[in-house]
Amino acid sequence: MPSSLTGFEPAPLGDFLRRASSYALIATPILFFIVFFLGPLLYLFVVSLLEPSKTELYGTRLTLENYERILVDDFYHRIVTRTLLVGSLVTGTALLIAYPVAMAIARMSPRWRILAMIALMFPLMLSNVVRAYGWIAVLGRQGVVNSVLIGVGAIDTPLAMLYSIETVVIGLMTILLPYMIISIANALTSIDRAYSEAAQSLGANPWRTFIHVTLPLSSPGVAAGMQIVFFLTLSAYVTIALLGGPRFSLLVSLVYRSAMAFQWTQAAALAFVLLTVALCVGTLIVLVLRPGRVQGRG
Amino acid sequence: MADGAIDVRLENVSKSFDRVQAVREVSIDIPRGEFFSMLGPSGCGKTTTLRIIAGFERPSQGEVYIRGVRVTAVPPYRRDYSMVFQSFALFPHLTVAENVAFGLRMRRVPGAERRRRAQEALDMVKLEELAQRYPRQLSGGQQQRVALARALVVQPAVLLLDEPLGALDKKLREEMQVELRQLQRRLGTTTVFVTHDQEEALTMSDRIAIMRDGVIEQMGPPREVYERPRTEFVASFLGASNFFDARVIERRGAEAAVDLGFGRGVIAHVDAPGTDLRIAVRPEKIMLAPLGAPGTHDARIREIVYRGVTTHIYLDCAGREVIVFLQNTAPQALAWRIGDAVSFAWEAGNAVVLDRV
Repeated sequence: MPSSLTGFEPAPLGDFLRRASSYALIATPILFFIVFFLGPLLYLFVVSLLEPSKTELYGTRLTLENYERILVDDFYHRIVTRTLLVGSLVTGTALLIAYPVAMAIARMSPRWRILAMIALMFPLMLSNVVRAYGWIAVLGRQGVVNSVLIGVGAIDTPLAMLYSIETVVIGLMTILLPYMIISIANALTSIDRAYSEAAQSLGANPWRTFIHVTLPLSSPGVAAGMQIVFFLTLSAYVTIALLGGPRFSLLVSLVYRSAMAFQWTQAAALAFVLLTVALCVGTLIVLVLRPGRVQGRG
Repeated sequence: MADGAIDVRLENVSKSFDRVQAVREVSIDIPRGEFFSMLGPSGCGKTTTLRIIAGFERPSQGEVYIRGVRVTAVPPYRRDYSMVFQSFALFPHLTVAENVAFGLRMRRVPGAERRRRAQEALDMVKLEELAQRYPRQLSGGQQQRVALARALVVQPAVLLLDEPLGALDKKLREEMQVELRQLQRRLGTTTVFVTHDQEEALTMSDRIAIMRDGVIEQMGPPREVYERPRTEFVASFLGASNFFDARVIERRGAEAAVDLGFGRGVIAHVDAPGTDLRIAVRPEKIMLAPLGAPGTHDARIREIVYRGVTTHIYLDCAGREVIVFLQNTAPQALAWRIGDAVSFAWEAGNAVVLDRV
């Protein structure tokens, strides 16, 4: 085929260099990704499939018993259920509070919007440990709330507010709320005003405009916000430990405890259960909200 | 015309944003079935006026009526109109059929009838096969038709069009102009159309309002505003014009001889001798004549621009520029060369006397 012969002319050197440099450009992040993320993950997965060892961090024989134990034992079931419950409560309440706040921010003038966003970032600059101790100072036996209530004579003995699921949820929610607000506010801000005007011109009152147009069009921000908040809840070890107390365990607490007890194979298996939970919930959020409809994918 | 047949009425409508006055005391009556255009450069107030009719802007002063009902304080969703937006604003999360049915759904039309009417509306714009697609899967022209079907399916008293053809390329735009106009005639829907494209306005409208700085400079049928512009702005925004200062020398019946500074001309206008006038002559109304013919002015050709249908010839007449458009029908139009000496003239009736502002 002569035509393919002519198509086989050597590319000029400039072309070659340009292509080589663009490969070099993406090679660095890909290498980084492999060495620092994919590699350790694979290593961890292999560890989760090894038998435990009394003398080493892990044994040499491949086995599924680390996973079997989690699947069979009721204790683990309760922990997974509780993890899902806390994650859903935190994500749900954060969503309910964040959406109206985000709408208010989206309606501000650009200048005030930037100021509001910066204000929302402030709490994120504080360490989680500091914030958890802050909550302890407020809600503890000798905390602000109890002191005030006893001081005004409303109660005689301090209320036990710490170490409960409510406290954990409130503590996590206040930490994670800014992520949700910023994510939704960005989505709302980027919606063209013409969409809601088009809805109104077709007879939709403000409420129906919100339900049929604004809400679905903000779904990318809602989905992203829910995912961020849910994933961060799954990994919020410090807050859960400090506000939930020693007996309140979620999956992440078990991972930590197993690792500290040198049960590496068990910790690795639990870590992958945690990852699976995260992937399932993340997928569920996308399937329900279908943000792809708005983002130009089918 | 009876008052009931006026579909849109603006009464002394003004609108200010902060310190900028976007619309100043605009009054318009649009009778049923009329295709009414608002034309002007950006910032002239045409879009604001449309948005006042739509209810997206509240006028600072004045009243708005749709079908005789005062709607000045009525929210957009309770006004009897629909609108096609410049960006089309098709809902990306809904299919074409759902987009078209949206207005019917908001009016709580039952499901079966809703689907039937949406399908009919899609047939009308020849998009019946694309009902289950999403807007992003359509071309610009198809999106435009969906937007039109979505607006027309609710059978509005008034159809508002905000530069709906601006996003399309030239060829498609010209096709859509004809199609849109035919559809509008057939349905008899009163239409208010906003555009900055003078050709579009001339092609489509029953009546045009030319706006500038929030004021309607002139309002009338396309032929009238084109042939008889009242101000220099209208004459230059709607097509091109040559402007001359003229002083009346003497009256000759219904005509007058004027001094143009570079020679004498005639105009079909009667004024007292000595009156100073400003006149406009369209480039296509100027004829090139053999050199030195009586009643003509001598000039030299400075530039020739061949434009396919026409040739634009730029003359230098005693230091002033005169533009002439020649139809490329006669071989003569193509025979001129830069530097040629020519004479030009116009018929008295083709010189338009402008208002002195």
